Order: sequence, then structure tokens, then C-alpha cells
Amino acid sequence: MRQSAFPGMTSSRWSLTGLAVLIAAVIPLVIGNQYTLSVMVTTLILLVLNISWNFVLGVAGVWNFGQLALYALGGYGAGIIMLHSSVSPWLALLAGGVVAAVAAVLLSFPTLRLYGIYTSLLTFAFAEVIQYVILNDGSGLTGGSFGLPIVPGLYSSLSLNAATRTYYWTTLAVVVIATLALAAVGHSRLGIALRGIRDAPAYAAARGVNPLRYRIIAFAISGFLAGIAGALYVSYNQSISPSVMGLTPMSVYVTMLVIGGLGTATGPIIGTILVQIVATLLVTHPGTEFTVLGLFLLVVVVFVPDGLTGLIARYWRRIAAWAAEEDAQPAQDDEAAPDEEPQGEQEGSPDPHVA
Amino acid sequence: MLATNLVGIAVTTVILGSIYGLVAIGMTLIYGTLRILDMSQGSMVMVGSFIGWGILVVAGWNPVLAIVAAFIATFILGALTQLVSVQPLMKRRNAIDFEMVTFITTFAVAMVLTNVALEVFGPFQRNVKNVVSGSINVYHGVDLPYQSLTMALVSIALMAGLGVFLSRSRWGMAIRAVAQNLDAARLMGVPVGKLYPITMGLASALAGIAGVFLGGLYFAYPGAGDLPLLEALIVVIFGGLGSLPGTVYAAYAIGLIQATAEVIVGTTWSLPILYGVILLVLIVRPYGLLGRPSEARL
Repeated sequence: MRQSAFPGMTSSRWSLTGLAVLIAAVIPLVIGNQYTLSVMVTTLILLVLNISWNFVLGVAGVWNFGQLALYALGGYGAGIIMLHSSVSPWLALLAGGVVAAVAAVLLSFPTLRLYGIYTSLLTFAFAEVIQYVILNDGSGLTGGSFGLPIVPGLYSSLSLNAATRTYYWTTLAVVVIATLALAAVGHSRLGIALRGIRDAPAYAAARGVNPLRYRIIAFAISGFLAGIAGALYVSYNQSISPSVMGLTPMSVYVTMLVIGGLGTATGPIIGTILVQIVATLLVTHPGTEFTVLGLFLLVVVVFVPDGLTGLIARYWRRIAAWAAEEDAQPAQDDEAAPDEEPQGEQEGSPDPHVA
Repeated sequence: MLATNLVGIAVTTVILGSIYGLVAIGMTLIYGTLRILDMSQGSMVMVGSFIGWGILVVAGWNPVLAIVAAFIATFILGALTQLVSVQPLMKRRNAIDFEMVTFITTFAVAMVLTNVALEVFGPFQRNVKNVVSGSINVYHGVDLPYQSLTMALVSIALMAGLGVFLSRSRWGMAIRAVAQNLDAARLMGVPVGKLYPITMGLASALAGIAGVFLGGLYFAYPGAGDLPLLEALIVVIFGGLGSLPGTVYAAYAIGLIQATAEVIVGTTWSLPILYGVILLVLIVRPYGLLGRPSEARL
């Protein structure tokens, strides 16, 4: 029996998603302000990175804290190709993804031998080494702490405002494609295997699921997307420096993922946009931004462990259950049943948290 | 020439190893008892160096006072960190992601502390007066500043003191009992609820004292805790999480590797070489030098 690639998606959800994408696509036509537009492009690029990170962190459950190094490697790879060769910048963009994917697979070999917290320490150390090597690079290839000089980027022939809009649509397209592709992967054999390995490693292995093989594939997919995000970053900003890595940016991105809800398709989107809005509003009070984000992170982890997506889903389910109950009286009982079934097993658990 | 290099390596090893040990041993103590990796330890070093700056430079008081003040302040801060970021999560202690969740919450505390310091003191690097000034010539061309010597001695004394505290004192034995078997310790009447904040306060206080000395070697600034945190993390993985002897061995082993690399290939590549060696060790022994696969304990 062949299943749909997106089992959770009803036709009403599809139209809601389509509407959201349509609104997002129309925004740059309405907003002409260069600053607002550039913040939105930056947010979308971060979103690509966070979607890639969410896949390895949330779906595969491997605590990889080296994702920013892959992002930077993709950015530097694409940037150096754009600077020093005459190939199409689109090929350079893809090359950035490939560089990061190869690095991710290489990183996965020692990493996947380790367990739990050791994984995060090793990957974090990997990111530090990459940053250190780029900072102290004497050959002039990466430009050390100053970063790459003026990179032509994808749309070097357009005016500033037109280029910003075009970048907006390009990154929006990447975000939509990445979200749909990773959601489809999440429901495929690969995704089910990864979740199985994450939740019950011994059981999954006993059932013949090879943890190493699936997790290496997850690293490669996630690394490729992170590299694409880095390549988009370098071509939009026309430069990249080692400051894209490090503890400070990483803490912001972790906050985005955790607040949104790890391992869900919509979590990174909600978290990234929300945190970015908060950070942009706090720009006028420099320094308070991270204090507020840190407190926000603390509160969410302690009180809402599954993030805002989980919180919304719990309330949504209550409303849906209440609506289904109202409907069930006049209509036949069977009607509400198929819709309820996938969530049925979780029905009992949410209540203590909500109350 | 060779002799100078060898003496230089030996001296640097002892100094680096003692610094690393002091910060890392607190993390090991916390991991062994609470099963969490405390990312706020770096901020405690930062707080310690600011206290050192405040008392030694601004107020111009006695260094001993600076050390005592740093101990008390970071002890309280560490205990509060536990109450705010770890205690509310203790009921989820057996969940599969407990280590990761507390990693994130202590990280959030570090974020807040660093940025509050940034807000209050600004991003400037402040010189902290040396606790002890002057230096001694150990061998031809090898100078040993008294600051580093004192720091190494204080670190070793504190590590030894911690060992005695854990093996002899009532509270120390209670901490070890909790690390070994939580339920049994509770049944024996160990006040587990009080013990957790005390353990984390104690570990943080060690990092705070390290901060007073490190402030003299480097500077006091909001990011002063980042490098010590990273080094402590490396030491802790290398030694095996939760193993106190492993941490001490690893601290000196890493000091040796780094000192040797600095003398032979220069400072630039010493950190990447260090990571390379650790990578090899972890590939051969995924749980560090003395760590045990499932329940690595004190």
C-alpha cells in the first residue's frame, strides 16, 4: 500500500499553508523599506539554517552543535568559488551545499561513535576548530578575521532594492522547498527509522535498523542544507567572516529552535520568526537582547518542554476535540474517528501539563 | 637549548594543567552528582575575575580578601543557578533528554550572566592586578611568574582539599553517596534537596577562585569565561565524565600536549593539534580516559 508523503496534511491544512506562502511572497511588493526587507531576508536565511539543524537535532536526535561550522564551510566554499572562478553563481551555491555535506559526513564518523553529551562536546569542539583555523589562516584564502572581501553574489547586476527583493523570493523558495522536502523525508522510511533510533536505540537496532547508516544520511542531508544556507548568506551579504560561528550566534539559534519546538516541521519557522522579531524590537536597547532571550529560553524549557508548537497543538487538539464532540451528536459517530486516530494515544498525557 | 625547551614544557604543563584542573574539576563534581553538564561554569570564572578586579584594582584591598569574596559570591551564584535552572527539572531526571535539557538551561543562565556583565561593565578588557607580582628564573631563559606559581599551588591545594572534603567530611560523603546511589542515599537520610545546590555552589566557587587568578593572566571582561569553559569541556571529555581522578590526569595531559605543541610548532596550531589528539583518543576510547560506559560516577 502506498501512503501519501504528507499523512498529517488535510486539504484545509494544504490551503492554509498555500495561503501563508502566498502572503509571504506578496510582502516585498507591499513593503518598500530597505531595512525591513533586509531583516526579512536575513530571517529567511537563518530559517534555512534552522530547518537543517532541526532535522539532525530534532528528528535524528543527534546533538550536533557543529552545525554553524557546516554553515560557515558552505558559505566560505561558495564565496571562494564566486570570487576566484567564473562559473555560474548558482553552481557555486550548490557547491557550497556539497562542501558542507562532505564535511558533515566526515564529522559524522567520529561523532556517531559517541553517545549523548559526548556527541555535543565533540561537535562543538569541531566548530571551534573550524573557526580557529579560519581566524588564523595566513594564506589569505579566507581573509582571516576580516572575512571574504566583496563577493559578487547571485544578483550582482540588479539594483540594491531589486536585489534584496529577489533574494527574498529566492530564500523563500528555498525555505518552502526545504520544509516540504524534510517533512516528506520525515514521513518516509528514513524519517521513521531516524525517529525509532532516537526514541528507542536498542529496540530499533534489534529490529534491524542500522543506526550508523541512517544517521550518516541524516548528517549529509542536514549538512547540505546548512551549506546552502551559508552560500545564500555569503551571496546576500557579499561577504562572510568567522563571526557567523561561535557561542553567541549559536545560543540565539538554539533559542529559536527550542522555543519553536524541536523535531516539528513548523517549530523552526515559528521560533525563528518570533525570536527575530523580539531581537529586532530590542535593537534600540543594545545588550538587553541576549539577557531577554536567555530568560525566555529558561522559562520555555522549564515550563513548556515541547516548545510553542507543542503548546499550540495541545490547545488546538482540545478545541478540535470539543468541536468534534459538538458535531458528533447530530452526525454519525464514525465521522470524527479517522481524524482523531493519529492523536489518540497522546490524548491522555497533555492534560496534566495544561492544567 | 633542548634542556631549556624541556624545562619550559615542564613548567608550562604544571601551570596549564593546574588552571584546567581547577575549572574542570567543578564540572566533573556536578556531572557526577547531578548528571548535568554545567555550561554556566565559564560565567563563574568571569564573575570571579570581575570580583578580583573590583577588590584588587578598584578598592585596592588584600588579595586574600579577593579570593574569599570570589568564593562566597560564586558559591551563592552557583547555588542559585541550580535552584533556578536545574531544580525545576529534577522530576524529569530519568527522561532520555535530561542531560540535554539541563545543558540548555545552564547555557541560558550563562547567556544571561554574560550579557548582564556586558550591560553593567561594558565590553572593555580590564587589567586585574596580579595577586602576587614578580617572577623567578627557573632555568636559562625560563621565567616563572609568581602569579602562575601561586595559582598552580592554590589549584593543587584546592583539588587536594576537595579530595579530602569528599572522602572525610560528612557533607563530602553525602555528595559521593548521592552520586553513587540516589535512592539509597535518600533512605539513609541524606538531605538530597539541600545537597544539590551546595554541590553546584561548591563547584562554581572553585571556578570563581580560578577567575581571580585568570583575571591577572588575561583580563576581566564579559567574555572571559568562554575560553576556560571550552578548555574545561575538553578536559572533562578527555578524562571521562564524572571521574575525578580522570579529570585531574586529563588536565595535566592536556597541559602537556599544549605546552609541547606550543614549543614545537608555535601557539597558532597548538589548539587544533590538541583537538586532533583528543579526537584520536575518543575514537579509541569513546568514554574518555577513565569514564565508564553507562554510569560514570565519582
